[in-house]
Parts: sequence; structure tokens; C-alpha cells
Amino acid sequence: MNEQRTILVRYDEIGLKGRNRKYFEKILLKNIKRSLPADKEISYRVPRGRILIDLSKSVADEVADRLKLIPGIASYSVGISVNPDFDEMAALGVKWIEPLFKPGGELKFCVRTRRSAKTFPQTSPEINFEVGSRIMSQLSPKGLVVNIKESEFTLEIEIGNNETIVFDNRHPGLCGLPVGSSGNVLCLLSGGIDSPVAAYLMACRGCRVHFVFFDNQPFLGRGGYEKVLKLSKIINRFQGRAKLFVVPFQDIQVAIRDHCREENRVVLYRRMMYRIADEIAKQYEMPGLVTGESLGQVASQTLENLAAVTCVTSMNVFRPLIGMNKERIIKLAKEIETYEVSIEPQPDCCSVFMPASPVTRGKIHILENDEEKFSLIDLQEEALKNMETIKVDFL
Amino acid sequence: MIYLDNAATTPMDSEINASLQEYMRDQFANSGAVYGIGLDAKNKIEEATETITDALGIPSSHKLVFTSGGTESNNLFIKGLCFPDKKAAYLGLEHPSVSETLQSFKAYGNEPLSLLEFNNEGQLNLSCLSILKEKRIRLLCLSHVNNELGTINDPIPLVPRLEKEAPQTRLFLDGVQAVGKIKLDKSMWSGLDGYSLSAHKFHGPKGIGLLIYNSKLNLNPQLHGGKQQLGVRAGTLPVPLIMSLAQSIKLAIERQQETQEHLQKLHNCLVDGLKKLEMPILFNSSTEELQSSGIVNFSFPPVEGEVMLHHLEKEEIYVGMGSACSAHSKEPSKILMGMGLTIEEARCSLRVSFARNNTMSEVEKFLHAFADAYQKLLPTFIKKPVER
Repeated sequence: MNEQRTILVRYDEIGLKGRNRKYFEKILLKNIKRSLPADKEISYRVPRGRILIDLSKSVADEVADRLKLIPGIASYSVGISVNPDFDEMAALGVKWIEPLFKPGGELKFCVRTRRSAKTFPQTSPEINFEVGSRIMSQLSPKGLVVNIKESEFTLEIEIGNNETIVFDNRHPGLCGLPVGSSGNVLCLLSGGIDSPVAAYLMACRGCRVHFVFFDNQPFLGRGGYEKVLKLSKIINRFQGRAKLFVVPFQDIQVAIRDHCREENRVVLYRRMMYRIADEIAKQYEMPGLVTGESLGQVASQTLENLAAVTCVTSMNVFRPLIGMNKERIIKLAKEIETYEVSIEPQPDCCSVFMPASPVTRGKIHILENDEEKFSLIDLQEEALKNMETIKVDFL
Repeated sequence: MIYLDNAATTPMDSEINASLQEYMRDQFANSGAVYGIGLDAKNKIEEATETITDALGIPSSHKLVFTSGGTESNNLFIKGLCFPDKKAAYLGLEHPSVSETLQSFKAYGNEPLSLLEFNNEGQLNLSCLSILKEKRIRLLCLSHVNNELGTINDPIPLVPRLEKEAPQTRLFLDGVQAVGKIKLDKSMWSGLDGYSLSAHKFHGPKGIGLLIYNSKLNLNPQLHGGKQQLGVRAGTLPVPLIMSLAQSIKLAIERQQETQEHLQKLHNCLVDGLKKLEMPILFNSSTEELQSSGIVNFSFPPVEGEVMLHHLEKEEIYVGMGSACSAHSKEPSKILMGMGLTIEEARCSLRVSFARNNTMSEVEKFLHAFADAYQKLLPTFIKKPVER
């Protein structure tokens, strides 16, 4: 039995890129190499438009699982090198298709061949026919039908000059762009459901997402901190090399609580968070902030209040969830496995800091007037000075 | 580190810890096996049972069942006796492992009877016992020592009155907070049908508890399997933990008098110290005779208990609370609310609970840290009109 496997990785949007394509391909390959085990004799080939990973059968499943977490991959298939013999190719197809039948139902399939060795005697359509008819002869009594447009199983055959590979059905990848191709951004992570999803979506747009958490341990305990460590670790599976900045926020919250109008508190807290995030992002050359805000979800996320927080920064503020409803966000959170951590009970704000009825349409001049009542700059500098920086890879 | 949350759990006694390591290494055999080392294990359980029986003065009319802890003991006795339709009563201030177990019967149309209106500072007012007869109550469940307040329900006066006024009602005491902290009168067993305890509350290991019950009662098992423990509780017996439980009980009982005196000193030092702080402190636990000296529960509105807890945590002082300050509001302590406290008083409370290894100097340090944190936090909790 052949112990060697080849995984074919197809790109997503990189294929559309013009002269920058090489740049994107290089980053994707680097990301793949970095996330796969270094000690397992894996080699890479990059023919035009695809990546081929040669490895032994024993690590193929582990590698395939990791490919599922890499943004920029449209799909991948695991292939086996065979002799250029139609019977051998068809036998593999039968082996893979047979377990997929559901009792009483039909299964649509097709064969697709890519023939780069032009010396091969048959053309691609002829090969499709030869292999397909052999499979049909064995499996049509069980309900196998040929359907090119709505195929549920596509057997792919690659005939090169030196080898012939038959690939199993395609597994979908995360799509999007490879992490690092767009640059670094800083996500305000709260420990709730939304912000981890926002971070993930930006990672799938090619960003390396770093995190900032505003901590208030003296009032809320260490639970929030622990939760954010877990969440940043889960999101980091999609990208690697993230940093988590933990900013002590209690003195700022106390100052706002003690000196400002009660109804404005939440917007004022958020304005301070944005200012601090802005400082960190500039220091680390991250040209954008990311938040999990969704329009109208809570009082602080109205159009007016979003404007009131955005105006304290000159940075791009990305809000990938802005038009999503909670149900969709929760579905994504479950898919990326942050949901279970996000819903662990942990106070994210002590009731002492919450206003009885928060402002829904904050007026910027009133907020600015409130901010004159406490030493904003000093507190901000103090918080940044006491900030903890954590490399998420090492958690 | 100053650990003052001993009602939650206690640190393991070093002597018990050292023995447990040995037991874990040596006593691995299944006590149900018929070869020699299995029989040795079985003998160890019998020795442990004897040690416990002697230490607690348990009469031959009662059986012992080893469980995973207090929660399982409470579930086993209450469900084993009353599920699904036998009537049960409780004071309404019990630990959730009692109250929630009883509440679970509601799904079967069996609402437990709450005697909260007959609560007197956390104790059952014995004048209500005739109601149990009227309502045909099969089981009365009480805390021997309340887990949040420390108040004691003393079985000695209760048992004869219950026998007289509601003879059909069985008595169950949750004794998890009592062992080692207050004197257990050996005469209590005669009218006591069930009693639970858990080793980790008196310096033993976690994961082992005990149910002591009147052998005339037929308890329906809650865990089915092998026929261990006469079929009442299936599962291979954790021989090392059982040996440790016995050792913990023996030590707790031997040291009980000395411990109680020590706890009383700590208790007085804390209560006097808090009174001297000249703050508006409200004592939720009693300072009367029927009170465990191991627990002091007090409120200090408007400063919230959870915030105070985290400020003390920064000083490496650990205390407990029965309520939370989350903005996504967890309910304030049902026990404190049941005692008639306002939501604010319940939220603004802490529970300090002592063990024999605590010292007077730790109490002094706590008082200092508490006073400092209170002064620091107070302005934040006072609502001030903000200048427009």
C-alpha cells in the first residue's frame, strides 16, 4: 500500500490578484509551513495557482485538520499517487465513494482530470469517461449517478509528467486572505461573544489581529483576565504570533464614576478604551482598530454613540459585525469555538460602575465637558505604563 | 496568604496529607476482590468505619454510606427517601444541595414546605412542629450549622419535641459545617434519621463524604451498578480516601474542644474589631450561644461584598460571600434575603470563616485591610450629584 500522500491546497481570492499574486502566495505558503509540524518530513511544491504538500500517510489527517484553520485556503484534497492506469484510479474512487451512500438515496458524482503531461495518450474528457464509467459499473446499482453541475463527490485526477495523483473529495477551507497579507490590527477584546468573532473575521481578511483587554481586577476579580487569555488563544489558532495587551482600567472607571454624569459613563469608558487602544496601535504600527460592535445591539452601540467613540481616534475602526444580528454572531462564535468560553459566567462590569439608564444618543460636547472633570491624560498614561504584554503563542 | 474562607473548604492537614500519599500508593486494590490484597482493602474500610463510628458515637441502629461529598450525601438521603411524591419540609435557608434537591420534586407536583416564617435568626422556631403533622410531612431537612450564617439548629431539644408533635416526620441534618467546629452530642443520634458530612470541610481531602442514616429506613439508590455498600451506593470504594476521611474525623473530634475555644477567640476578636471600626456594620450572623464561632457574616452597605472581596484578594486575604455584584446580576444570596435583609444589605456582605490554623494576627491584618479597602471604596459607592 502506498504510504505517501499529497495534499492539494487551492487558494481563494489570491487567484484573483494581479501582479501582487506572488506576494500573497508567498505569505500563504509561509503560514502553512509555520502551522504544520516542522519535524515530520513534509515537502512543498508550488506549481502555478496551487500548493502541493507531500507527506507520509501517518501525518496526513493531522495536517489536514490544521489546514482547516488557515485563512486564504479555498479548499484542499488529500491525494494518493497511482500508476497511470484507469483500473487503479477507479478502484480508489470506489473505495472513497462507497462509504458515502445513504440507504435508499442517490449520490451524485463526477470525475475531473487535469492533464499537464500532454504526452498522455487520452485527453482529459476521455480520462473522465474511462475512470467514471468504471466506477459507475460497480456503484450505479447502489444509486450512484453522474452529475457534473451538482456533484456531491468529485474525484480529481492530476496527470503530470512524473506522476499521477488521484484526489479525494474537496474539503472546504476558511477562504479569505492569508494572515499577514493585510497587516496588523488591534482588537478590543471584552470576554463576551462578539469581539472574538470580529477578530476572527478580520483574520480571514488577511489581518494579524492583536488584542487589548481592559481589566478591572480589584473590582471584578481575575476571572475576566483568565477568560481573555483563553479566548485569545483560541483565535490565535487561525493566525499565530498575536500579542495580548492587558490594561488596568479600574482607576479610569472610578474617576469617571466619581466625576462624570451618570448616564454618560458607558460612552466615556469606551472613549477611554479607544484612546488607549489608539496609543497602543500607533506604538506597534497597527493601522486599524477592531471591535465587536453591532449597530443598535446595546445602548452604547447606537449610531450617535458609535460616532462619539470613533471621533477620539484617527485610526480606521473596523466593525465586521456591524450589520449582523445576534443569532448569526452566536452561530459564528460556535463555529470558531469561542462561544463556550464567552458564556462562562463572569461579570464584565461591576454594577457600581453601571448607570441606571445609559445615554443612547451621547452628545460629543457634553462628553468632552465630562472629560474635563478628571485627569484624563495622567490616568491614560498611568494605565499604559502598567500595561502587561503577553505573547499569545506562548500561552 | 491569609485564608479566611474555611466554610468553602479547608487546607489539608499535613499529617492527613502525608498519610493519604501513602494510602494512595499502597491501598490500590479493589475492596470487592476476593484475593488477599482485596480482602486487606476491605479490612481497611472496616477499620475506617469503626474509627468513624467510635469518634462520632454512632449507634448500631445507624448505617454509614461513603459518598463523594456533602452534595451527594444530601441528594442520596433526600431523594432516596422522598422521591418523587413524599412530602418534605425545610427551613428555606439550607445549602443548595438540600434546597435545590427538594425543589427538583416540584416537577413531579411535590412542592416542598418552606418553614421560613418560623425562622428565628436562622434557627427553626420549634413552636411550628405541629404543622408537620397537619401537612403529613415525611421528612424535615435542616442545616446543623448554616453554611452562610453559622447559626445552629440543635437536635437535642428538637428531637423529643418532633417525636411528640410530629412522630411520622423523619429528621435530616446537613452536618457539613458542623464537624470539628461545634460539639456533636452523641445522644443526638437517637432521633436523627440522616446526617451528612464532607472531609474537606475539616482538613481532609476533597471527593469523600459520608451519609449516616437510620438503618430502618429503606433508601432508594441514586447510583446503580455493583452491589457495593449494600446496594445503596454503587461504585468501587475509594479506599485511600475513606481511610483519610476516618483519620480527619478522628482528629477533628479529638481537637474539637480546643478548636472551638480557639475559633471563639478569633470570632470575638473579629466581631469586636469590626465594632471598633466605627463603620455602619450590620452583623448577619448571631453572636448568641446557638452560633458556630467558625463563621461571621456581616454587611457594610453601600460597599459591595464582591468588590471588597477582590480588594482583599489583592492583599492575599481570601474571604467568602454568598452574593455577587455582577451587573448581569446574579441573585443576591437567597439565605440572606430569606433572613429579611434588603438586596443592598445582602449584596454588601462578606462571610469570614475560620479554621484551627488561623491566628489572631491574621484577624488583625484582615481588620486593617478591610478598613483600608472600605475607606478607599466608600466614595465610589456613595452616589454624588454631578455638577452640570
